[in-house]
Amino acid sequence: MKTNDVILQTTTKVVFFIIFLFSIHIFFAGHYTPGGGFVGGLLTTGAIVLLLLAFDLKTVQKALPFNFTIMTAIGLLLALGTAAGAIFFNVPFFTHAFDDFTLPLFGVTSLHTAMVFDAGVFLVVVGSAITIIQSIGGDS
Amino acid sequence: MAFQILLNFFIAVIWMFMNSSLTATTFIIGYLIGLILIIMTRRFFNSRLYVWRLWSAIKLTLLFFKELALSNISVLMLVIRPKLKLQPMIFALPTELEHDWEITLLSSLITLTPGTIVLHVSDDQRTLYIHAIDVDDVDEAIDSIKNSFEKAIMEVSRA
Repeated sequence: MKTNDVILQTTTKVVFFIIFLFSIHIFFAGHYTPGGGFVGGLLTTGAIVLLLLAFDLKTVQKALPFNFTIMTAIGLLLALGTAAGAIFFNVPFFTHAFDDFTLPLFGVTSLHTAMVFDAGVFLVVVGSAITIIQSIGGDS
Repeated sequence: MAFQILLNFFIAVIWMFMNSSLTATTFIIGYLIGLILIIMTRRFFNSRLYVWRLWSAIKLTLLFFKELALSNISVLMLVIRPKLKLQPMIFALPTELEHDWEITLLSSLITLTPGTIVLHVSDDQRTLYIHAIDVDDVDEAIDSIKNSFEKAIMEVSRA
């Protein structure tokens, strides 16, 4: 029997954005405070799982038309590329670099290549977790 | 109403550019001037001034806090009575609200006030099934919800 989930669905539409925003915050906070790519990725996964609980698999696939397998691959490539980029500058594998830049709005920001590696971790976590959930949940 | 807020923002931004000072203070001054302009030209808009809607949203929030305090006290009175003589009840509340967010808001408000819980929303979204901890008169319980929360929500959502 299909019950009327109007309360769950309306609340999800609001809460999804708050969780997603928090996951972005956690992702960027990772360098100086607790957080990082892994928790950020898991929080994003949690937000998408909430969507999957409130709506059905097809609706979510239509709303987020990403191929999560390819997302995992892109994440792995990003992580490997950041690590391998170091050997072009005559430093050992996995050596990171950073510098201070003056960005509009942000002011002086310290940009670190570890963040690109973290973005790779983020994409791998989101991609693999959602792939697992979608393939368990789908019936075809 | 969204158009009015957008227009007010635009007026404030244009005011900032006219004064060539991009600070929060200038924005607030421009916003207030824009508000006066919108109130002056209110006959051109075919919906209510958004200020009234904002005001009724504030009134709804205050009403919720008042109901929260009152019903907490009444549930406390029920709990500390030496002999529990409750009359729990599940009743149907016919509602006139239409939008999804209105029904969600109404059921959240009903659930958050102690003593009442929304169990189910009917498929056509015209009826809410509510469990109440102690009801003497069903019609009275329905009326009290209808007159407080539903009326206040309709006041907010009315165009």
